[in-house]
Amino acid sequence: MELPLGGLIALAAALVTWGAGLGISKIGASAMDGIARQPEAANNIRGTMIIACALIEGVAFFCAVIALIAVFVK
Amino acid sequence: MSSSPSHTSDAAHGAAEGDDKIQAFQDFLAHHVMDSHHWELPFLDIHTPAFITVHGIMLLIGTAFLCLLFGVVYKRKDDVPRGMTNLLESFIIFVRDEISIANLGEEDGRKFTPFFCSMFFFVLMLNLMGLIPLFSTATSNLAVTAALSMITLGAIISMGIARHGALGFLKSFAPPGVPLAVLVILYPIEILGTFIKAFALTIRLFANMLAGHIVIFSILGMVLLFGALVALPAALLATAIYFLEIFVAFLQAYIFVLLSSMFIGASLHPEH
Repeated sequence: MELPLGGLIALAAALVTWGAGLGISKIGASAMDGIARQPEAANNIRGTMIIACALIEGVAFFCAVIALIAVFVK
Repeated sequence: MSSSPSHTSDAAHGAAEGDDKIQAFQDFLAHHVMDSHHWELPFLDIHTPAFITVHGIMLLIGTAFLCLLFGVVYKRKDDVPRGMTNLLESFIIFVRDEISIANLGEEDGRKFTPFFCSMFFFVLMLNLMGLIPLFSTATSNLAVTAALSMITLGAIISMGIARHGALGFLKSFAPPGVPLAVLVILYPIEILGTFIKAFALTIRLFANMLAGHIVIFSILGMVLLFGALVALPAALLATAIYFLEIFVAFLQAYIFVLLSSMFIGASLHPEH
């Protein structure tokens, strides 16, 4: 059976989204725990959370760019 | 059996039509997202000369607008800032206190504030210009984001050497208190890491801005695939994504400058 390239790329993108979603959800949950325990540290926690999310997002976007290259560059 | 030839030709015809639609969809997407030498305005088609593309023009317009904003509109002489000056000043204070001083320390932070402010407002302006109809996003061009993060990389290296000397800068890659055997593996990774940081900065801004626009135009492009019935839901959904994009434009400008300041701060004050 011949596997369609577009389907494989979509599957890969879905896997990456899954992983990045898990990672960001873990950060968000931990940040909420932290803010609930120490509301006065909310600003620091929020800043750190955004940085960590951006780093994970960066990895996900690497894969998005690779997927786009696979789709558009024949 | 007599129906089978006509059936196959129908299927072939349908497939060809589907291919046409997908081709039209891809052309629509590429036309709105990719860089080109052709800038379409309502009553005017501008064909740009060979040395500049549409994204290059966007860079020039953004720069001109920023010069206008800070040269003419921004009044630093007023005792009490009003209107636009007030808005701009709140951004500048934010960049100074939350980004520059927070990551570089009080003394260096004040010195670097103009640099980070320039970078922040430039990236923000380009991101927001991409959301204005008829304009295109210069930051969804890999060359533009690469050039911006090369400035950061240059600042990391040059400031590190200026502060600690060439030898001290090379030494700052080695974390203190690590045994020699581990250091042999760790040292090349740390040096490589500096370049990977800049590369990640490039890809992050580029992919964020490109992905947002691809989502918007993919949703609008559904009209090409599924006909006029989906036009209204597609337009509403695209509008919702558009508002998300405004937030992303600010967030990515902030993230880009924040990470730049963290990297430059780590190069100025290692072992923190």
